Amino acid sequence: MSEEAFLSPVEDTVPKTGDVAVGEDLEFQRAWWRFERGIWIFFLLLLIADLLGLFGRGWLAKAKAVDQSQTLSLDYERIERANTPSIMTLHFGRAAIQNGKVKVFVSEEIIKPLGAQRISPQPESSTIGDGGITYTFAATQPPATAEIALLPSFPGAHHFRIQVAGGQPIDGDVVVVP
Amino acid sequence: MAPFIIFRAIFGYLFLVLMVRIVGRRPGKQLTPFEFVLIFYLGGLTLTGMVGDESSLTNAVCQILAVGLCHYGLAWLRFRSTRIAKLLDGVPLILLEHRQWRTNALSHMRIQDDDVMDMARDQGLRDLTKIKTAVLETFGEISIVPADEEKS
Repeated sequence: MSEEAFLSPVEDTVPKTGDVAVGEDLEFQRAWWRFERGIWIFFLLLLIADLLGLFGRGWLAKAKAVDQSQTLSLDYERIERANTPSIMTLHFGRAAIQNGKVKVFVSEEIIKPLGAQRISPQPESSTIGDGGITYTFAATQPPATAEIALLPSFPGAHHFRIQVAGGQPIDGDVVVVP
Repeated sequence: MAPFIIFRAIFGYLFLVLMVRIVGRRPGKQLTPFEFVLIFYLGGLTLTGMVGDESSLTNAVCQILAVGLCHYGLAWLRFRSTRIAKLLDGVPLILLEHRQWRTNALSHMRIQDDDVMDMARDQGLRDLTKIKTAVLETFGEISIVPADEEKS
């Protein structure tokens, strides 16, 4: 193949301003400045939403749920962040303690997608079945609390259920953001 | 999960490209300490999110490959389309022409007359009146066309 095949004549393709080839495009630049102004406002709104807890770990993310029979109240984060630890706190009512024991059922979603790492205090026993785990704690009288440390691995929305023996179930939803 | 890791790497790369683009061009041949802080800090913060808790060599290699391919893709698109080239790099902007400042461009790009004079001195020009055209290039430098060229 001849060398000419790889050559092409130089053309004056760069737009000139005056007699200098600058390649300025003011129309594009003005549109970009408008875009920049918009995106800075968008970033500011994102930061405010983050500070408020829209992406977890803030005021909007915190949730509280109480079952109808007042046996259990739950503090948790309705918006979690992937690979970020959080605590779900279970407050047991007087009716939850039966014969010095509290039995609480925790659905599978809390164990796997929401990544339950440990439960504190250590339960006397754990029983699997019915799509979750039933923990049994020794208890005296209220106030009595237990904590579940969570560490979700992947983003997504998860529905969970927690129920104390003799009480109504608490259903909740947690959204895990990346 | 492998696809999630790749997605994180690509997102991190594209997000950094966007951030560096909109943070703006600052004139100068070298990075100022101010910009060093920005570049390293942005890079470090992005790295935390990209790597997560997976510190394996496989993860690192796959993410580097993903970022490399993404960069190649952007460079290819930039070559094929002037519109994308403008989006990625911006366009040159005239700051001074025929002894008139383009005040709108100066204020939007956060450039002062001192910055233009810095570059003029670099070319041996003694004052701003010796400049015919000053152009803010896409890579952040200010090019100076001396007024003397008009006579030659």
